[in-house]
Amino acid sequence: MTRETVLEAVQRAFADVAPELDVRSIDPNAELIEGIDLDSMDFLNIVTALDQLLGVEVPERDYPRLHSLQGMVDYLTKRCNEAR
Amino acid sequence: MARSKREIPHYYLSLDVDLGPALAWLAETNLDRPPATRLLPAALLLHATARAAVENPDLNGHWSEDRYHPAVGVDLGVAVALRGGGLMAPVLDDAHLGDVEAFMGRLRALVGRARSNALRSSDLGPPSLTVTNLGDQGVDALWPVIYPPQVAMVGFGRIRERPWAIDGMLCVRPVVSITLAADHRASDGHAGARFLSGIARLLGRPPAEDPTAPLRHSTRTRMTT
Repeated sequence: MTRETVLEAVQRAFADVAPELDVRSIDPNAELIEGIDLDSMDFLNIVTALDQLLGVEVPERDYPRLHSLQGMVDYLTKRCNEAR
Repeated sequence: MARSKREIPHYYLSLDVDLGPALAWLAETNLDRPPATRLLPAALLLHATARAAVENPDLNGHWSEDRYHPAVGVDLGVAVALRGGGLMAPVLDDAHLGDVEAFMGRLRALVGRARSNALRSSDLGPPSLTVTNLGDQGVDALWPVIYPPQVAMVGFGRIRERPWAIDGMLCVRPVVSITLAADHRASDGHAGARFLSGIARLLGRPPAEDPTAPLRHSTRTRMTT
């Protein structure tokens, strides 16, 4: 799976959970919780949406690797390609 | 807010609680679950608050016509920050009933409805007690202002690692500060302290743990008026 496909899934997950955010304008390195004001419920909903879109269950121990948009896309791309 | 501070003689208590056992239970519970059914620490905190409120009726009810009216069940107001500004406190009615699994499902659905502007009329009933959880915003503790005609409000700060002494040994534990704002016309500090201790007791005893296990919460209660 390409990085672009994963990025599209991430953008869609954000659009579902926080439709008022313009994901394209988010600094890819900004902290998701503190930088763009997501809370733990939003984060869980995004992880849930990504599971449904990509079929990747992110274990809680890997949450720190999803701290930013960039980290999220890097991690998910790696996981998607490992699974194949 | 101004009316609240003008009319309600607030008193405040706080208690630091070691969440180590609760979070260990949570991590183990979530380990084999897909994200859709995982539990959040907030569910444990709020569920424990609702259950402790049943045992402490002086903190769960309404002040009207110069007297206190204790509530029958716990209709828990949950302060939800709306992105783009604003705060609301929709209600989980009878929040003390059911287990933490059911509570998490209801909490997730309620927050989702609040943020998508799709609350039902049943979500907007009068709470008997409100909780605010600002842990995600990085503050250690908060000192809430009671919503009249309620007589108490509970606040949770962030869960942070703190030095903690257990049996004479110093270690590092995940700790949360619970604060209580309460109306001195309806309760006194003793009742408030019992309520906070009740929340701590429930948090120190995760659902799968032996109910006779020793408690590991702090008894350091601070009071200010």
